[in-house]
Amino acid sequence: MSGDNTDILRLDEVGHHFGGLTVLRSVSFSVPENGIVGLIGPNGSGKTTLFNAISGFLHPRTGTIRYRGNALGSLSIQERSRRGMLRTFQTPKVFEHLTVLENIMTGCCKQTHTSIVQDMLHSRGSNRARLAIHDRSEVALAKFGFQSQRDTLAGNLTAGQRRILEIARAVVSSPKLLLLDEPSSGLNPDEIEHLRGWIVQLRQEGMSILLVSHDMELMTVTDLVHVLYFGEIIVSSDMDGIKNNARVREVYLGV
Amino acid sequence: MIRRLLPVLILLAIWVALPQFLPRNITDLLVFAGIYTIAGLGVSLLLGHCGIVNLAQAVFYGIGAYSTAYLTTEMNLSSIWGFVVGAVLSMATAFIIGWPVLRLTGYFLALATLALSIIGNALFYQWDWLTQGTLGIGGIPKLHLFTYALDTPNRFYYFVWALAFAGIVMSRNLTDSRTGLMLRAMRDSSEAAVSLGIDLQWLRTRVFVLSALLGSLAGNLFAHYSSFVSVQSFTVEKSFSFLLISVLGGVRAPWGAAVGAIFITVVPEYLSRLGDIHQMLFGLALVLIVVFLPYGLAGIVDLVKSRFAKSVGADHVR
Repeated sequence: MSGDNTDILRLDEVGHHFGGLTVLRSVSFSVPENGIVGLIGPNGSGKTTLFNAISGFLHPRTGTIRYRGNALGSLSIQERSRRGMLRTFQTPKVFEHLTVLENIMTGCCKQTHTSIVQDMLHSRGSNRARLAIHDRSEVALAKFGFQSQRDTLAGNLTAGQRRILEIARAVVSSPKLLLLDEPSSGLNPDEIEHLRGWIVQLRQEGMSILLVSHDMELMTVTDLVHVLYFGEIIVSSDMDGIKNNARVREVYLGV
Repeated sequence: MIRRLLPVLILLAIWVALPQFLPRNITDLLVFAGIYTIAGLGVSLLLGHCGIVNLAQAVFYGIGAYSTAYLTTEMNLSSIWGFVVGAVLSMATAFIIGWPVLRLTGYFLALATLALSIIGNALFYQWDWLTQGTLGIGGIPKLHLFTYALDTPNRFYYFVWALAFAGIVMSRNLTDSRTGLMLRAMRDSSEAAVSLGIDLQWLRTRVFVLSALLGSLAGNLFAHYSSFVSVQSFTVEKSFSFLLISVLGGVRAPWGAAVGAIFITVVPEYLSRLGDIHQMLFGLALVLIVVFLPYGLAGIVDLVKSRFAKSVGADHVR
C-alpha cells in the first residue's frame, strides 16, 4: 500500500470483532484525493461495519484510520463530519417530518453559527444564517431535481427519492470525502443514470468518494475496487479486472 | 396580512378586557396560569423539540422562588437580584446535571429527571437554614416595575402574561430558526443528525439550560406574587403538573403551554362547584384529552381547520 500524502483516507490493518465474531480482519486500503474507490462484497462481508468504523459510529479494535494524514482514533461522529467526511446510510435516514428543502437545509446548518438567544430573538444574525442556509439549499434542490417536491414532507417520498435526498443533504455542505452506502438500491434505471452523472460531477467538483454498492454497472465510475470477503480484502483491481477475476466470480458473482 | 393579524388583535383585546369582567379569584387563578405557562413552556421546549420528558422543572422553579425569597427578605436586596441569582443558579445546575444525564434517552432520561426532582425536593426540605423547610419564608415584597407596584392580581396579570406571550413568541421564533431546524432533525433521526455534524448532546444541554431558566423565572414570579414560599410548592407533583400542562396543551403549537396552564388552573375551580365529584371529573377530562387529542388542546385548532378545509373542498366538488 503506497503511503503517499495524496491519500485523503487511509486504513491500516483495521480489525474488529463483536464478541467472538470477527467481522473485519486487517483491512488496509486508501482513497486517493479526488479519487473514487469502490467496495464490494457479499452480504455479511463487513462493508457496513467498515463504513461505521470510518464514519465513527464504531471504533475498530485494532488498526488505524487516517483522514487527511491524521489518525482519527476515537474522534466523534460529528467532529468527523465537520472535518468534511460525510456518509449516507444503507437504509436512507431522511428527516421524515421535515420538507425536502428543510432536509437539505439541515445538511448545511453546521456551516453557519447562531446562538439559541439570537434565534429566539429573531435577530439579524439569525435571519442572515437562515437565509444563507436557505439559498445554498435551493441550489442543491435544483441540482438534484427536487424543485417540484420542495415542500413535500420527506416521509412521503419514494424509496429512490429518499436515497437521492440523502445524498443531496450530504453534499450540500461540500464535503471533502463522501461515503456512499448502497446509493443505487431502490432507484429506477433513470435515477441510477442520474446518480452516476452526479457522482462523476461531484468528483469534478473536488470530492473524493468511497462507494459501497452491489450495482456492477454503477461501479464502473470507480478508479479502483476492493473486494471484501469475510472481513478481508481478497482482490483489488479496476472494474474490468474485477469482472474477469476468477476468485471474485466464485465468491461474489457466484459464477 | 390583516387576515392573519385579526385573530391576534381579537385575542389581545380579550386579554386586556378579561380582568375587568372576571371575579377577583378567577383573575388570581389566571395569574397562576401565566406563571405556570412560563414554566410549562420550558418543559414543552424539551418535549416538543428534543423528545425529552423533563420531570425536574419543579426544582428549577424552586431555585427561582427561593432565590427571590431569601435575597429579598433575609438579605434585603432588590428583587432584580432574585431574578439574576435564580437564573444563574438554575442554569448552572441544569448544565452540570444535564451534561452527563442527557446522554441517556427515553425512559432512562425521564427517570433521571424524576430522581433529580426527588433529590431537589429533599434538599429544599433539608436545607432549612436557607429555605425554612415546611415553615416557609413569608413577607416577600411585591414586585415593582420601576416605581409601579404590581400589588394587585390585575396588575400582576398584565405583567406575567406579557412575559408569557413574549416567551411564546420566542419559542415560535426558535422553531423556525436554524437551531429549531437542527432540533427537529434530531427528533426525527438522531443518527442522521449526528452524521451531519450536529452535536446532539450540546444542543440538548442548551435547551435543558434554557428550560431551567424559564422554570426559575416562573419561580421568581411565584414568590413575588404569593409573597410566601415553602417546600410544599416544589414537590414532585409540581413537576408532574408542569409536564401535564405541556402534554395537555400540546407541544406542537408554541401557545400550547398557555392553553394547558389555563386548563389545569381554571377548570378544577369551576368543577369544584359540582361538589365532591369534581376531582373524578377532572381526571376523566384529562384521560379524554390524552386519548382523543394526541396533539393536546392546541391540536383542536388543526382538527377544526382540516375539517373545515375538507367540507369546503366537498362543497366545491358538489
